[in-house]
Amino acid sequence: MEIVESAVHDEARQRAQEEALEALVDQYATTLYRVAFSVLRNQSDAEDAVQEAFLRVLRHRETLGEIRDHRVWLIRIVWNIVLDRKRRAKTRPETDDVAELARVLPASGLTAEQRAAAAQHHAHVMSCVEKLPAREREVMVLSAFEELSSVEIATVLDVTESSVRSRLFRARNLLAELLQHTRSIR
Amino acid sequence: MSFSTQNDLDRNGGAIDAEETLRLIASLPAPQGIEDRVKSGVRAADRQSGVMMWPESSLNKARWTRVSAMRVAAAAAIVLVVAGGGWEVYSHIHLAPEPAAVAVPQRVDGSGGGSGGLSAAAARRTPKTLDGPVVATPGNSKQTPGKGSSVVLPQVHSGLQPAPKSSTTLPAQQ
Repeated sequence: MEIVESAVHDEARQRAQEEALEALVDQYATTLYRVAFSVLRNQSDAEDAVQEAFLRVLRHRETLGEIRDHRVWLIRIVWNIVLDRKRRAKTRPETDDVAELARVLPASGLTAEQRAAAAQHHAHVMSCVEKLPAREREVMVLSAFEELSSVEIATVLDVTESSVRSRLFRARNLLAELLQHTRSIR
Repeated sequence: MSFSTQNDLDRNGGAIDAEETLRLIASLPAPQGIEDRVKSGVRAADRQSGVMMWPESSLNKARWTRVSAMRVAAAAAIVLVVAGGGWEVYSHIHLAPEPAAVAVPQRVDGSGGGSGGLSAAAARRTPKTLDGPVVATPGNSKQTPGKGSSVVLPQVHSGLQPAPKSSTTLPAQQ
């Protein structure tokens, strides 16, 4: 009798965990995708990263109840995954950023030429962002997410809030210099 | 407006422009149906892990108890074998028997006759002081004449030789 009760209890607990995980997918999959895409800038790679993040959560589903802020926790997981993927992808040929951006950027009210020019401009900006030191670049990319506060960015990067602010300040200055330099060359 | 201010504005404008681009990319919508795809992927992975864990999870409790009891029995048997082996070795050890007599080495003090077969190197010798110090008696032949009589120090007798009778004792001081 005890055996049956225990089995029923285990099954119910497993079902509850599955439901909690599915709720997390519903709530945060798009946010995680956007974070992944901002680093990888490739749709399928970003989606794979989101999938991998939830698989990691599945492996540690027993600890779900201990997490206070699921959103920041999940962003941190996907952030580590995309950084790892990007590090590994450096050996592979990089994808064409301009073409990818032209495909995904909103094109309402723009002619084909304007759209191409905008994509080229954004690609140029992104290439300058890529030239930033890793620490500054990471803060810059995460600060573009309006839903993330500096405290949350600090949690994702595992640094202090003041460190986030100083890195952001340096990143803005460096980026401005890089953009000015490339403009003067042109 | 000075040149540097214009330059700063250009710089800031560039940075703001760059942040706009980053914000635009960050706000790009996720592809349709991503939630469903992720869910199905997670479910598939969960099922696969369930299949992998099947032998363990499907065992009923009684069988699990039997297996754990067998494990405990095996562990106990190993402990018994190790302890028995240890006892076997311990019981076969023979300790050295107690000696019937203890040979004490002779003391070398250097005072005995001869060396006693051992070297007396670095042995400390002390003179016999039981009879007190002995002052040798000066000879009577070479005494210098003084005003009164010759002075003879009082002898400390070792008991070997009597004092000469010709000598004069010192007069008592006035």
